[in-house]
Amino acid sequence: MKYFEDVQVGDVMRFGRYEVTRDEIVEYARQFDPQPFHLDEEAARASMFGGLIASGWHTGAMFIRMVVEHMTPIHATSGAMGFDDLKWIRPVRPGDVLSVESEIREKIESRSRPDRGTVKIESRVSNQRGEVVMSLVSLVIYLRR
Amino acid sequence: MKYWEDFKVGEAIELGSCAITEAEILAFARKYDPQPFHTDPEAARRSIFGGLIASGWHTCALLMRLSVDAARRDGAAGTGSPGLDACRWLKPVRPGDVLTGRTAVLETWPSRSKPIGFIRRRNEMVNQHGEVVVSVVGITMYERRPGAAA
Repeated sequence: MKYFEDVQVGDVMRFGRYEVTRDEIVEYARQFDPQPFHLDEEAARASMFGGLIASGWHTGAMFIRMVVEHMTPIHATSGAMGFDDLKWIRPVRPGDVLSVESEIREKIESRSRPDRGTVKIESRVSNQRGEVVMSLVSLVIYLRR
Repeated sequence: MKYWEDFKVGEAIELGSCAITEAEILAFARKYDPQPFHTDPEAARRSIFGGLIASGWHTCALLMRLSVDAARRDGAAGTGSPGLDACRWLKPVRPGDVLTGRTAVLETWPSRSKPIGFIRRRNEMVNQHGEVVVSVVGITMYERRPGAAA
């Protein structure tokens, strides 16, 4: 297990493989983001995106799935306070395969809770062509040894 | 239609309300955020949260849904978002909570290259106790009123 003391600024982790399907894009959009370019191939082709694209929040959800599968089991984290500076850089389309590169940016000790600290982690989600589709800086709560 | 020109700094927009059930919390978390305090009521009781809580990404998804529905009611000509400045999950969201969304318009500026304009807004969700559970500051894009763009 990696605790607050064990992660170092500059550490880089690469993980995840998430295949994005048309059905999942539409299913997420129906529930949470029913805009035409997330729901309907025909309407999406006529939009500025030129075809069906995933909701940006869906990309966020696929990102957290990869984090929970690959990082959470070996890092002593206890959720997150939120994130800063999220950018939706490129559309995510059916058939894309996403992966994550995360880098430790900053460690902040808690003054009020000596058993934990906050770690700022910058993550980039890329597609199968190596293009970054989304980036963000997560504020993750780590337990101390 | 509501165009970029129709948003005013300081304007407050009510987004409506939604309830969240245990079944919804479990279904979202099992698919996207399978941490024990989101997927297992028993494990959640023993965690620092003292009971099942929704994934923060689920809370944000519900806020998005309220925003999309409100934009549709207003006829707002939205064209997506380039990103967010900050998102904070301030209080846990639990089964049975009723969440009400609201937006404050913080800043507006036009695109120099396209017939769209940008709005920086703070979107929040408040629970039935009046506590803000999530706050998101971000940018959204809207079409300009036809003929108005320089």
